Amino acid sequence: MTNQEKGQSKRHLTLQQKQNLTGWIFLLPASLLIIWMSFYPMVRAFVVSLMRGKPTALEFSDPLWRNYQRMTMDTVFIQSLKNTFTYLIIQVPIMLVLALIFASLLNRKDIRFKGIFRTCIFLPCATALVSYSIIFRTLFAYDGFVNAILLNLRLISEPINWMNDPTGAKTVIIIALIWRWTGYNMVFYLSAMQSIDYSIYEAARIDGAGPLTQLTKITMPLLKPVILVTAIMSTNGTLQLYDESVNLTNGGPANASITMSHYIYNTTFVTSPNFGYAAEMSFVILMFVAILSAIQMKVGDKR
Amino acid sequence: MKKFLSMLLILALAISMSSMAFAAEDGKLTIWCWDVNFNVAAMEVAKKMYQEEHPDVEIEVVNSTGSGDIETSVVQAATAGDLSTLADIILYQDNSYQKLVANYPEVFTDLTDLYDFTDFAEGKSSFSIVDGHHYGIPFDAGTAVAAYRTDVLEQAGYTIDDMNDITWDRAIEIGKDVKEKTGLPLFSAQAGSSDWTVIILKSCGASMFNEDGSVNLKDNDQLKAALDVYLTLVREGVLVEVNSWDEYIGTMSNESVVGTFNGCWILASVMSLTDQAGKWGMANIPSLVGVDGATNYSSNGGSSWAITQGTDIDLAVDFMQAYRNVDFYNEILPTTSAIASYNPAKEGSNYTDVNEFMGTPVFADIIEYGEHVPPVVSSPYYYDARDALATAQTNILNGADIQAELENAQNTVEFAMDF
Repeated sequence: MTNQEKGQSKRHLTLQQKQNLTGWIFLLPASLLIIWMSFYPMVRAFVVSLMRGKPTALEFSDPLWRNYQRMTMDTVFIQSLKNTFTYLIIQVPIMLVLALIFASLLNRKDIRFKGIFRTCIFLPCATALVSYSIIFRTLFAYDGFVNAILLNLRLISEPINWMNDPTGAKTVIIIALIWRWTGYNMVFYLSAMQSIDYSIYEAARIDGAGPLTQLTKITMPLLKPVILVTAIMSTNGTLQLYDESVNLTNGGPANASITMSHYIYNTTFVTSPNFGYAAEMSFVILMFVAILSAIQMKVGDKR
Repeated sequence: MKKFLSMLLILALAISMSSMAFAAEDGKLTIWCWDVNFNVAAMEVAKKMYQEEHPDVEIEVVNSTGSGDIETSVVQAATAGDLSTLADIILYQDNSYQKLVANYPEVFTDLTDLYDFTDFAEGKSSFSIVDGHHYGIPFDAGTAVAAYRTDVLEQAGYTIDDMNDITWDRAIEIGKDVKEKTGLPLFSAQAGSSDWTVIILKSCGASMFNEDGSVNLKDNDQLKAALDVYLTLVREGVLVEVNSWDEYIGTMSNESVVGTFNGCWILASVMSLTDQAGKWGMANIPSLVGVDGATNYSSNGGSSWAITQGTDIDLAVDFMQAYRNVDFYNEILPTTSAIASYNPAKEGSNYTDVNEFMGTPVFADIIEYGEHVPPVVSSPYYYDARDALATAQTNILNGADIQAELENAQNTVEFAMDF
């Protein structure tokens, strides 16, 4: 290489480098915003989770992991953890299976008024969280609509006091969640199903496969990546559940339906504020989400 | 196009900036409160009165969606170390004062030497006193009252006078009798709320806390007596528990209960049932039996005004003199039903006049009751204790042991205190 050439390569980037640089410049604003508005608060939340004291005079606790130790002795937090996982384990599978069934029903070519059905099932997740919670609370009131229906159908002999019963309150939250989010997940499945070639089903039918075999042997394997995405999103959403706990049951009776996020809110804004502890519990939720997502990816993604 | 967009952005920014109410020393008063028909309406009257004498002072009353939102704003401003976003005068719930002043002292102006606190009900102003210093100007009284349907009582052979100055033993006895004769429970309450127990507890000057600030739940005889009354009321069917506030109000509008027991602000809801006018009467609350300091007076709820530091404090204090003005309370009473905790207000004509709905001058009576409410020890951990007690009460109603549950509640609050 001559000296002249060396000098040129210093001043002028190659075409490849130029394109790379342009790419980075385009990425820069969004990346900086994400770092500033998302990553920095996350790191900061972790630092705060190691602190204790009054909100405006936080100091590092001794030992540093004191808040983490303290959490294991907090009966209300453990209760909220149990509640949240109850919702997760019962609600997410029911909802995803229902969404899959609805999606495969609405994906049939011969069905009429498809658009109307799809809209109707999707509509619940367009309603505001607070308003739908309040409507559910009214529906499940002691003298509410649901009890009236059940009584008239002679399924029960006296009204069920839904909101004042630990199991009843949890059931109402789970029913509400299923009602609201099934349509949302269904849309993901529907759009993925539309990319599956119809001739595959035709071939299967010629080979004598019934609807159930088609669902389990063709649709589900081909939908695996989408199912994985919806499972992770639902897990994440359920672990962060807040609105339903606050507006539907107010955590009651006796904390029987309180969620982790609701308890975190209470520790920060309702009872005497404890920012360090609240940040610590938020961080624990983050870790739960991360671990569960990792497991789901490991199990679901075999590529 | 680009220019147009940037102009639009700047405009949007400018509008949002100008609509923000800064609490700087600018000769303008900004007031934050909630409830258009209550606190806001009262402040609009105070504003009109003040501007008649000081036409050049600008006053803005801002309606917030609720006391919780105001507290959140205060927490954010205090933790950010920038109070300039707060209003000059802010309304807080009485029960929040201890918590907010203890955690965010820099927000509150010490009003002890700036404002004259004589003639305010002692039980009321005790909420906003921290370490002997006043931080709030008392507004509406939360004096506890018991109101009954006189027509139903009459069917069972009782009058409203039979309900005045009685003990809980007598009240339960009457309740059972009324239930037997009319089929209606005497009271209704919201399940999962410890309001009732706390009102009864406060009626004997007791609290969930000791003088030294430590929590006092598990060895608190007055609390056990109060809980016992509540449990008996529920078990005997004298009190019916409902699940939500709407259902609670519903029990009165559906005429499925004989009476109600709460802070006097509940009368606004009762009096809105115009078809039941003339059928109600008011009494003081029953007292506990065999307990030290038992009275027929207590309180629940209510709020007080604070002045933010670094604002137009002198102007704000001058403006707040309206709250020592009998005419002011007299004027706001008919529209807001906000009952004064300023004792001389009971002389106002709207207070002394016979209330058409209730048939007696109930508002003057309530101020009278308020003067007898014993002051109680409050705490920054009030809400922690209230929630823990509510959990214990629900569990006890479902059959758990009183002592064990109170010990759990005590542990929960002590756990929160040790942070």
